[in-house]
Amino acid sequence: MTKAELRETEKIGSVEDIRIGVYVCHCGLNIAGSVDCEDVAKFAADLPHVVVSKDYRYTCSDPGQELIRNDIKESKLNRVVVASCSPRLHEPTFRRVCEEAGLNKYLFEMANIREHCSWVHLRDRKSATEKAKDLVRMAVARAVLLEPEKENTVPIIRKALVIGGGVAGIQAALDLADTGYHVYLVEREPSIGGRMAQIDKTFPTMDCSICILAPKMADAGRHPNIELLTNSEVLEVKGYIGNFKVKVLKKPRYVTDECSACGECAPVCSVTVPNEFDVGLATRHGIYIPFPQAVPSTYIIDRDLCLNKENIIVCDKCVKACERQAIDFEMNPETVELEVGTIVAATGADVFDPASLVEYGYTKFPNVITSLEFERLINAGGPSGGHLIRPSDMKIPKTVAFIQCVGSRSEKGHLYCSNVCCMNTIKDSLLIKEHWPETKIYVFYLDIRAYGKGFEDLYRRAKKEGVVFIRGLPAEVIEDRKTRNLWLVGENTLMKKLYRVNAETVVLSIGIEPRKDSDAVQRLLTLSRTQDGFFMEAHPKLRPVDAPTGGIFLAGCAESPKDIKDSVTQASAAAARAGILMAKGNITVEAITPRLIAENCTGCGVCAKICPFNAVFVDEESKKAEFIEAACGGCGTCAAGCPFNAIKMRHFTDEQILAQLNAATKENADKKIVAFCCNWCSYAGADFAGVSRMQYSTNVRIIRTMCSGRVAPKFVEYAFSRGAAAVLVSGCHLGDCHYINANYQTAKRVEKLWKKMERLGLNKDRLQLEWVNASEGERLATKIKEMQVIVSSVNAEEIDNSKKMMRKG
Amino acid sequence: MPVRIWRKPLDAEKIKVKKAEVHILKNQCKGCGFCIEFCPKQVLETSDELNIKGSHPPKIVDETKCALCGFCTAVCPDFAIFTIEKDCKEGC
Repeated sequence: MTKAELRETEKIGSVEDIRIGVYVCHCGLNIAGSVDCEDVAKFAADLPHVVVSKDYRYTCSDPGQELIRNDIKESKLNRVVVASCSPRLHEPTFRRVCEEAGLNKYLFEMANIREHCSWVHLRDRKSATEKAKDLVRMAVARAVLLEPEKENTVPIIRKALVIGGGVAGIQAALDLADTGYHVYLVEREPSIGGRMAQIDKTFPTMDCSICILAPKMADAGRHPNIELLTNSEVLEVKGYIGNFKVKVLKKPRYVTDECSACGECAPVCSVTVPNEFDVGLATRHGIYIPFPQAVPSTYIIDRDLCLNKENIIVCDKCVKACERQAIDFEMNPETVELEVGTIVAATGADVFDPASLVEYGYTKFPNVITSLEFERLINAGGPSGGHLIRPSDMKIPKTVAFIQCVGSRSEKGHLYCSNVCCMNTIKDSLLIKEHWPETKIYVFYLDIRAYGKGFEDLYRRAKKEGVVFIRGLPAEVIEDRKTRNLWLVGENTLMKKLYRVNAETVVLSIGIEPRKDSDAVQRLLTLSRTQDGFFMEAHPKLRPVDAPTGGIFLAGCAESPKDIKDSVTQASAAAARAGILMAKGNITVEAITPRLIAENCTGCGVCAKICPFNAVFVDEESKKAEFIEAACGGCGTCAAGCPFNAIKMRHFTDEQILAQLNAATKENADKKIVAFCCNWCSYAGADFAGVSRMQYSTNVRIIRTMCSGRVAPKFVEYAFSRGAAAVLVSGCHLGDCHYINANYQTAKRVEKLWKKMERLGLNKDRLQLEWVNASEGERLATKIKEMQVIVSSVNAEEIDNSKKMMRKG
Repeated sequence: MPVRIWRKPLDAEKIKVKKAEVHILKNQCKGCGFCIEFCPKQVLETSDELNIKGSHPPKIVDETKCALCGFCTAVCPDFAIFTIEKDCKEGC
């Protein structure tokens, strides 16, 4: 701290000097529509230490910001409270405003009266206004105790990790490498290329997929700044923005770099299996290359298939066939440790398995194929040499029917639209028309979504070519046993007529779904997922490629279903965002890390045991706890767990949280729910409930902590001792914690509290624990509605009891 | 790429996997069982049959599984087993 800052801190020590400015934002009618902002501002003016209180139409606008800056200077404000939207949205804006006016940004506080009030109480102006007043009161109470803090800067390692070598990962890696950063590109499969390599042509330009991808793959393969790690998986990611330590498992290929991909080895291999790349439509050997354009252009041995198990070499046919002696059965798995500053997650997506929709008969009827199988069949390099044969008799079909939205936009699959299937089908229909113009083509659809550049033109072209579009998906596909042709029956919803169409091949236009192992990636990188299961961005509009975890960026279908163009766009954006961080070279770390109150510390080591980051240890000589600032994530579970009050979490101190509790329970506590929500999941979930206008009761007061692990049992006890009717503790789902596993401590503490309440003869239902992620606004709203029942069932005697008991306890 | 794989590959007929004939010289066998133990395709198993040496020679469970690796020949201490490629010119 500088001398000036020290002086400032000392000044605040005496409570009389505190001068708070409160600004109540109308946000147009977003807040003013259901909250009387003027009334709230008037109320705030009478709160202790408040010297300025104003309501303003758009506080985040330039004049709004100017107003605050002027007041800080003229009225000598040393605390600012803005009652407006979520701090997750505009806290950085107003913190900057404070700094511009010479006020330390940690002396700013926000009351969320939009997402947590006006939007969720649209039809009860009176109660919403009362709640807004309470929220402002809580913010002011906290503001009084805020302290100026100085942020540390940490250097950023100028290397990046890209996970996933599909088109998005390749693009991100190339962009970063061209900018001059060293990039590690990790791919699980033996070759980079991903889904795009399997596709025949791309829409709307109809150019050949592999022809435009292969040069990019080759570029990535030989770029001096890119280190390719194929057949490899990320095992562990530790650290934080700018300083990640990553462990990658390099699985052995059993073929060295000496391989020239001559292909002499494969034909002599006596074991075969369906090739994954051709969706099982072609065969590969135990030693194989996934596809001719693979990068690296090296064969690989599938040891699960190979006759040589473990250490016994029973078959050496490939070894004998290889002139360059590139085969090495002695290769072992290898773990490499990387240090990177930024990570781009481009882990891609899976496709929907239509076998679960029995009405379409996939896997029952040979001539019902998926759109991915279609791509391999129509591809000149595919198993049928580009002839669209039907599997039952290898003949080229004269009628082809496409069924849209298979696994998309339906309860039977996924509720979301998979984004690419409409255009993919239109492209496929044109491909058929190009090769076999006489083919009759039907497309059964719900809606055709031709929203992108050039898409509508392509759609029109398909109609002009004679492709028949019928609105209404078939109810059933029935096979003619003799001909193996298929009958599609359903209703044409535009004509209000039933149809019965005969087709020789049916193509199921299957949707895109999150990777089956998304939760593993999610845990590795501490990401969140939306209800659909795709990874969530930090902000859907303004930070669409940033993950909520600092230093991690998203690209491609991992974030949501998207086409090649969007994947590439997003990948370049992610590379640029990662590049910005690395170009700066260092980053400031939020000053929310703990400080030791040395005289209270007994060196018991509880904090060291529960710290998820191993950032605390007990010094052997001094017998006091010590913190490793750079490793600390700032969750605060150490402070909540310390039995001797020896840890002070900066910016989330016990006193500040207790002051918020005091303010929240000042009036009508016996009707209120106090909710502790973690910043990353539950508070964001509450914001999401607000954005989605999910209505719930007005008596809940949300207190934000960085992690639910910060919620010390004494906070809950204090809330009850103040007469609160109910308390909700809410955090990320177990396993999804932003701070690795800190929320397991939350679960333990709540368990203990429940036991204690039972022992004291209190109704333990008054304390609730709910895991809510950032997309589960509905879950939070429902929980609050449920708790309303508990609140109304609690009588005055019970409240008094808990007041007495908890005070004693 | 976890996609459901269930069809018989279109080229299944074309891919020529060599067919094998397994020959056991039963009376030369001392019944050590190496061939049975080391066969990667589990083509062989012990039989109840007794040969002139009073030991149990192996018997063939499924000749079509044999991948012609020749390891049985290599491990047999008694030169009692060998495999040859089937002559499939006239189909087999």
